[in-house]
Amino acid sequence: MTILAEPPQDSPDLVPPRETGEPWEPKSDFRLGRTIVNWLTSTDHKVIGYLYLIQSFVFFLIAGIMALIIRAELTSPGLQFVSLEQYNQLFTMHGTIMLFLFATPLFVGLGNAIMPLQIGAPDVAFPRLNMLGYWLFFFGGLIVSLSLLTPQGAAAFGWTAYAPLSDGVFSPGVGGDMWLMGLAMGGLGTILGAVNFITTIFCMRAPGMTMFRMPMFTWTVFVTSILVLFAFPLLAAALIVLEVDRKFGTVVFAADNGGAILWQHLFWFFGHPEVYILALPFFGVASEILPVFSRKPLFGYKGLVFATIAIAGLSVAVWAHHMYVTGAVYLPFFALMTMLIAVPTGVKFFNWVGTMWKGSLSFETPMLFTLGFMATFLFGGLTGVILASPPLDFPVSDSYFVVAHFHYTVFGTVVFLMFAAYYYWWPKWTGRKMNETLGKWQFWLLFIGFQVTFLIQHWLGVKGMPRRYGEYLPSDGFTEMNVISTVGSVMVALSTVFFLINVVHTWRKAPMVGVDDPWGFGGSLEWATSCPPPRHNFKSLPKIRSERPAFDLHYPDIKHKTGGEQVVGHFADAVGAPPGDTKTEPGEGTDK
Amino acid sequence: MKIEGWLFIAGFIFYALISAAYFILSQDLVGTTLLLFTGLLAIICGFYVLFTSKRVYPRPEDRRDGNIDEADPEYGFFSPHSWWPLAVGFAVFVLVLGFIFAAWMFAFGILLVLIASAGWLFEYYYGDFAH
Ligand code: HEM
Ligand SMILES: [Cu+2]
Repeated sequence: MTILAEPPQDSPDLVPPRETGEPWEPKSDFRLGRTIVNWLTSTDHKVIGYLYLIQSFVFFLIAGIMALIIRAELTSPGLQFVSLEQYNQLFTMHGTIMLFLFATPLFVGLGNAIMPLQIGAPDVAFPRLNMLGYWLFFFGGLIVSLSLLTPQGAAAFGWTAYAPLSDGVFSPGVGGDMWLMGLAMGGLGTILGAVNFITTIFCMRAPGMTMFRMPMFTWTVFVTSILVLFAFPLLAAALIVLEVDRKFGTVVFAADNGGAILWQHLFWFFGHPEVYILALPFFGVASEILPVFSRKPLFGYKGLVFATIAIAGLSVAVWAHHMYVTGAVYLPFFALMTMLIAVPTGVKFFNWVGTMWKGSLSFETPMLFTLGFMATFLFGGLTGVILASPPLDFPVSDSYFVVAHFHYTVFGTVVFLMFAAYYYWWPKWTGRKMNETLGKWQFWLLFIGFQVTFLIQHWLGVKGMPRRYGEYLPSDGFTEMNVISTVGSVMVALSTVFFLINVVHTWRKAPMVGVDDPWGFGGSLEWATSCPPPRHNFKSLPKIRSERPAFDLHYPDIKHKTGGEQVVGHFADAVGAPPGDTKTEPGEGTDK
Repeated sequence: MKIEGWLFIAGFIFYALISAAYFILSQDLVGTTLLLFTGLLAIICGFYVLFTSKRVYPRPEDRRDGNIDEADPEYGFFSPHSWWPLAVGFAVFVLVLGFIFAAWMFAFGILLVLIASAGWLFEYYYGDFAH
């Protein structure tokens, strides 16, 4: 049995010409029914990745609309549009959908769409398991979403589901049950995805692709998957036990035998690694984009790898910084461990700045979003150090200061770098580059809108506005700041419209790029195959002698200082190809 | 395979030390257990990977001078497409809904999961891609 056990799919009309670099259009023999069946039954990691990405973006829009309703409600004192009960459902579902149904699947989607290409693999290790992971996420997400339609409404106990608030007495109604079981099911899908990623990275790298030559994004996918293995089984177990409490009257999380604190321990032992599960892969995205638009190799590759591992390791030992105000945890330990995380994170920033230092920078849309991430996340990290210190945390805990802090971190990484990744890899996935003008409009609207929405919330929190409250009094003096915040959120919403317009525009109008590496300076292997890649990713693989095999292939005469041995010989005639015009000659770079 | 294995072993050492320190400082049993079990999970993986790496020669992807043509030509079998993931996913969907709403539906879900898993397992025992 060979690896290509499939009917030939790449008819000549559909395969991009890699030699000419001329614009071309794939001949369309599109048939809707066949395409739907192909996607529903796909085992191609790229298609599965796109399914994840599309699905997660839909959830991003849904939860974003919920955020807008929340913001609208908070614009003036008192209640306007929703009842307090509905408000509780709104922020619970906003947080839940954003974290579990948007950001986490976005990681799995990006990992699927990019990681196998970066290690030179024809597919992932377990293609069918991969697709099962998607369906578990899809149906699990469906259960969570459908809970909005039940008579008593969706879960309203916050995304943290603290016991005893979340038990059957305080939160009756089937919405809570659907929330718990739907998330457990989706979590199972995430675990399968992580197992698949780890096995793929262990067993399917191309010859010469040693661990310490893997691109940073692949490294972060790998480390993140290990964190998933640590965190998600615990979450699934805790959710199911809570559901059993609710359904069969067991008392594991009952308040009178310490269940409240037990739940918080279990939840946050999952919850804090989870926020790094969301952050790390996007750090990887930043590490991919910065060198390309700085035209320099990544500065301190090994430092970044070890910083990633250190962040992941430490992130498991800091969970109770979410529990300072319970008075039931040992403060010095968690304060110290939390502040220690700032060290490897600082290393990352240092290396990113080092990558740009004296580089020949250009500011295409992916680079803009990456810089936007760096500014935003840096600020979120600083307020994080404030919150890590118990005496500073006590006065602002559960206030809008915390809401501002975690949006700076989580929005800064996930949303900014999601768009960076979309602009950067769009030509690889679809063969078409997204529109730069629209992209720049989107970026500036999003960046300014984000800062307007969330910067002011720090002061709201200091002034005493608590999180998770749907109303306040005119005499509280929160009104002006809330109006400003809402104006900002409208800008954020508008920027998303620009993105959607750009997607349609690119699909209808943009020409096919016709080269392997439209950005001109890509280093990792995905830039050494066509845009879009064929079913099993590579027609030929270049020799891998450094962390930047695609760069070595396209610029064989440049010896760079990233620990790579120079690749010489039969690539010599590609020398001097102007940037943006580099392409792989057929047969070249192949050892097959 | 060595680096991969040592990564997990390092995780085990780290969590073993941390859980000991944490227990001495806080006497909190919940957190100590959580940290310790994380370490145990790491050593299960690390032991298996290191054990395997002892029994194989360094693979071309473990060597800095590995060449593309050294890859095993019998690379493995990749399912070209399959209905069974959707079937299993849908069966679990019914099972979970059954857990929430009705016992009969739960039982029906178990049946569906069994059927779908059997279909999955035996998919490549017959038909075009049998092997
Ligand atoms: C579209 C822009 C967004 C706006 C305007 C927004 C707004 C808000 C507001 C006002 C709250 C506080 C509600 C309250 O405490 O009463 C909130 C909570 C929250 N948001 Fe966002 N948000 C946005 C995007 C995001 C993103 C991208 C994520 C994560 C990926 C996220 C995750 C959360 C979480 C976890 C909570 C806490 C929910 C809870 O308290 O249970 N948000 N958001
Ligand atoms: Cu945390």
